[in-house]
Amino acid sequence: MSTPTPAPDPRLRSNKLLWIAGALIVVAVLSNALFFVKVPGQHLLPWLNLVLFALPLVLVIAGLRRTIAEPRIYRGRTASWLLAGLSGVLFAFSVFALYVSRNIPDASSAPQVGQTAPDFTLPDTAGKPVALHDLLLLPIANGAPPKAVLLVFYRGYW
Amino acid sequence: MPEFQAAGVRPVAISVDSTQTSANLRRDAGYSFTFLSDPATEVIRRYHLLHPAGGPDKHDIARPAEFLVDPHGVVRWVNFTEDIRVRARAGEMLAAAQKIQ
Repeated sequence: MSTPTPAPDPRLRSNKLLWIAGALIVVAVLSNALFFVKVPGQHLLPWLNLVLFALPLVLVIAGLRRTIAEPRIYRGRTASWLLAGLSGVLFAFSVFALYVSRNIPDASSAPQVGQTAPDFTLPDTAGKPVALHDLLLLPIANGAPPKAVLLVFYRGYW
Repeated sequence: MPEFQAAGVRPVAISVDSTQTSANLRRDAGYSFTFLSDPATEVIRRYHLLHPAGGPDKHDIARPAEFLVDPHGVVRWVNFTEDIRVRARAGEMLAAAQKIQ
């Protein structure tokens, strides 16, 4: 005598929160590419990035609670734990990235608008000494002296 | 960079990289403007832009900063980012350069 397979619980529902969270994780990871696009309002990107990594974590935790509280209705407990782990690690990483990228000395002592830029002499890529006062006066490729010199200090080690 | 030349702006990049490292970067990136090397962070300190131990192996480097300096040596525009992932856009610098006469 074979035991009949139990009919599936008619209340069984898929855990949509997990799918949404999974999609948001992909969006959050892809949003990092925006840092390479020089769009207006870029200073908001680090915070947008953080929120995009926090949202799926919240959704996954909600989804996980459902599978624990109502296991007969919501499936996907293993998937919930895996997603919770993944989004937890990614969120922690985005917090760390925010901390590292903002952990730079302030520039309140640096020359400000209206002040004189200190003169200096440094070697160029050919090893030739170059002075700021020459950069300000020597003609550029259009044959005229520059209207302005754009000094770009960067971190190096590229 | 032709936009900068058209606006009469001479870009100059400064970092702690050696002249050889800067030469490689300049060649590989196809840049034609001037790259200056300040491995001793002498000028970076003079501009109060030192980021102590900010580089790999705890090397001192420059915190990112951009200045537009007019022919009299006066700073006309600055940008000090608070997040190294967020940098000044060329459009902002060109707009600032247009205002210098």
